Amino acid sequence: MKIIKQIGIIFSICWLSQVIEYLLPFAFPASVIGMVLLFLCLLTGVLKIEHIQEKSDFLLSNMAFFFIPAGVSMINYLDILKSNAIQLILICVITTVLTFGVTSFSIRFTMGLMNKRKGSEK
Amino acid sequence: MKELCMYPSFGIALSILTFWIGIKIQKKTKMIICNPLLIAIILCIGVLLIFKIPYESYNQGGEIINMFLGPATACLAVSIYTKLELLKKNWLPILVGCTAGSATSMISVLLLCRLMGLDETMTMSLVPKSVTTPIAVSISSGHNGVVPVTVVAVIFTGILGSILAPAFIRLFRVKDPMVAGLSIGACSHAMGTSKAIELGETEGAMSGLAIGICGIITVLFSMLL
Repeated sequence: MKIIKQIGIIFSICWLSQVIEYLLPFAFPASVIGMVLLFLCLLTGVLKIEHIQEKSDFLLSNMAFFFIPAGVSMINYLDILKSNAIQLILICVITTVLTFGVTSFSIRFTMGLMNKRKGSEK
Repeated sequence: MKELCMYPSFGIALSILTFWIGIKIQKKTKMIICNPLLIAIILCIGVLLIFKIPYESYNQGGEIINMFLGPATACLAVSIYTKLELLKKNWLPILVGCTAGSATSMISVLLLCRLMGLDETMTMSLVPKSVTTPIAVSISSGHNGVVPVTVVAVIFTGILGSILAPAFIRLFRVKDPMVAGLSIGACSHAMGTSKAIELGETEGAMSGLAIGICGIITVLFSMLL
């Protein structure tokens, strides 16, 4: 019953976020709304981590698996892939490396600046 | 064959079997490229093509697995909540990093598309490729992009991120797990996050946080296009 209850809580939040997605005047994905909702529930103490621990551990530790059907859906677009393969691969590889690099550098740069300021205040 | 594969159990069984084979191969070879998710996707597509099984049959089960993505993404809130102190202390660098990352992704796609002479529809389909699928699709269709191209680019980027994340961490000499997680989430959304979770608790939480923040920032930036 414990696990059933946890599944119930998580699916209720997901349903609620789908309703919110439907009502919002602009496009925003239910999965991210669900993340915000659950975060707010935890923050305000409406939910405790113990209420959803096991189910959430199960979902998070198997996250890669849940992406298999999304990947397999590429089978429907094989012709797009074939006709633009080289450009698509190049663009994806280059921009992914760049994005990772710039994100990591700018976080470290900002943290460095903040530490410096803290140091000079002392 | 067609009739035999139209049960949802077929898609679920095939996905689990191929993922299990992927994990076995990963354990044996210990090579980054032998990513269980990548192996499972290739094997599934291979099986469908070789036995001429329609995608719709596979997707009877695929849809059920896909349904867990929403709850799994929502549960990232749990890992973010356990790192609340880290978030409070570093909210500014996190915000700066995600903004810079989202801008870099969009601008570099724009420039590369111009450089390769791709047309406007193709460019708009690729610009939102670093954010989670539903956001990317809505941006793409809002700018007259081709949605299937966006879906392929998002998934391909995600696979890249989940395979290459450990290599990126070494390449850019990232030692702080918070920085690593945020960067993974910024460049390869939830698929990359699935790898970040495997790397560590902080990596997973911060990667999940970056999905949300980068998604919102990318939507805002796309309004300028």
